[in-house]
Amino acid sequence: MEEPPQTTPPDQHRLREIELDVRTQDVEINMGPQHPATHGVLRVLLRADGEILVGAESHLGYLHRCAEKIGENVDYIQYMPYTDRYDYLSSMNNNLSYSLAVEKLLGVEVPKRGQYLRTILAELNRIASHLVAVGTYGIDIGAFTPFFYALREREFLLDLFEKICGARLTYSYIRPGGVMNDAPAGWLNKVAEFCDIFDQKWPEYWNLLVQNKIFIERTANVGVMPAQTAIDWGCTGPMLRGSGVDWDLRRDQPYLVYDQLDFKVIVGEGYRGTLGDCFDRNFVRMYEMLESIKMVRQCLAAIEEGEVSHPDVSLTIRPAPGEAYVGIENPRGELGHYVVSDGTKIAKRMRCRAPSFVNLSVVEHTLPGCMLADAAAIIGATDIVIGETDR
Amino acid sequence: MEAPKRDTAWGPMEVHFQAAREAHAALQEAGLEVELHQPNLPIFAEEGEAKRLAKKKADEPHEWRGDAFLLLKDRERLLEALSLIREQLAFQQIVDVTAVDFDAEDSVLWGVYQVLSLTKKARLTLKVHLPKDDCRVASAVSVYPGADWHERESGEMYGITYEGHPDPRNILLPDDWVGYPLRKDYEFPEEYHGISCV
Repeated sequence: MEEPPQTTPPDQHRLREIELDVRTQDVEINMGPQHPATHGVLRVLLRADGEILVGAESHLGYLHRCAEKIGENVDYIQYMPYTDRYDYLSSMNNNLSYSLAVEKLLGVEVPKRGQYLRTILAELNRIASHLVAVGTYGIDIGAFTPFFYALREREFLLDLFEKICGARLTYSYIRPGGVMNDAPAGWLNKVAEFCDIFDQKWPEYWNLLVQNKIFIERTANVGVMPAQTAIDWGCTGPMLRGSGVDWDLRRDQPYLVYDQLDFKVIVGEGYRGTLGDCFDRNFVRMYEMLESIKMVRQCLAAIEEGEVSHPDVSLTIRPAPGEAYVGIENPRGELGHYVVSDGTKIAKRMRCRAPSFVNLSVVEHTLPGCMLADAAAIIGATDIVIGETDR
Repeated sequence: MEAPKRDTAWGPMEVHFQAAREAHAALQEAGLEVELHQPNLPIFAEEGEAKRLAKKKADEPHEWRGDAFLLLKDRERLLEALSLIREQLAFQQIVDVTAVDFDAEDSVLWGVYQVLSLTKKARLTLKVHLPKDDCRVASAVSVYPGADWHERESGEMYGITYEGHPDPRNILLPDDWVGYPLRKDYEFPEEYHGISCV
């Protein structure tokens, strides 16, 4: 990496002094619920003093679908498709978190091949999700073209998912007890092919979007969140790592086969500005994609023939009484499922701890003091999916 | 610190059991009345057990599996317990605040707090019982700011009053919604502002 040129942080106090010379009135601006930069039906009420934000308030609930209530009324397998629809950009990870929680209550461990397939799919899904995150972020701040580049690689991934489970967005592929079916013949070779293609294409995103001068100007030193704030507010995923906290559930609470894989946890380092700014969050996402490719390659090398599902788990599931919380590293952060069972077919509580919901709650506190034009950049860098915040 | 050993495909279990035992001892030492509940079934089921359970309900309902948790007896001392967990036991991050209505017949709701330690790499679950006819508990926001939206959500869904919460409005539901949807005795409305719900 070349030595990054440092840009100086804008002098907020001086800007405010100029503003205070004039008699002004705070203006309330309604951003959303149908605003392209809120990535869904989120409404943010902004309060601006001239060009500087003095307050922000999120209004959620436009996409609330009562998923948790539904979870207390349908049986365990019937609930599977609802998990797909939380964070529709990373359905594999949602399925995985839910399945692991149910398996914890069942006390069954998926056979090795099933675990490797799950890991490969979770990582491929992470790449697909980060591609959309970084691509749409480009649109938010005025770069339209990189999004189409991102969709090109994502298309390859969606074709891979379609080949293995028939669906392109809501997979329901990973399910309690294992996976839906074994990979079709030649599928793993296709995955290897994707890894090679992606390695070649990655520098395109890096050079075209992230190293672009306009991108850097719009993101460096913008929306800075100190590490302590990120920890206090429960931020996880790239939001937490972008602030320089070295924490990744795949390494620190290893599930599936992550303990056998060799990978680096990407942490923001203030590459272009202050540590914890919008640039760092995208920096983390960009390099995480390369780490995911590395993990997929290792899984491809280690995967062996065998069963993919546990023979004891059928369509009727009656887990032992008890409660289980499993949190996994979703592309957006810690996705947790908290399942309470009383030994019957239907759960007593089906809680989903959504990373977007928590990551969004801190944005209200990051926005005041920033420029109005940066609101879209800061909300975009949080990478929220409304299906998950509202559930 | 060393990464915890992975002992199951769904993550380390022994680390969390250990953390629950340590927290139990520390809280008791501070004079708080806490019960430690540990699952009494082995982590892994015997071969064929899941299949057998699927056909027939388990005979012994007192046998259970999953995570261990701590139950705080006195809800008035919740903040004391949470501050101790954060400051002394180094659980820096709140992961989730939620509630459980286990049965419509029960007289209590469970308030559930999931915390995570970034240094010990462990999780801890703290529970507190809230009587349904007097459903209030101190807000955890002063100890863990991240509890803010979680408390707003479980407040509107279960009708829990989080005392001292800075902004206790509804978050996912409309402001004029009647009833607490996640309670087991909730009755679905017939219509909402002229929109039929049936």
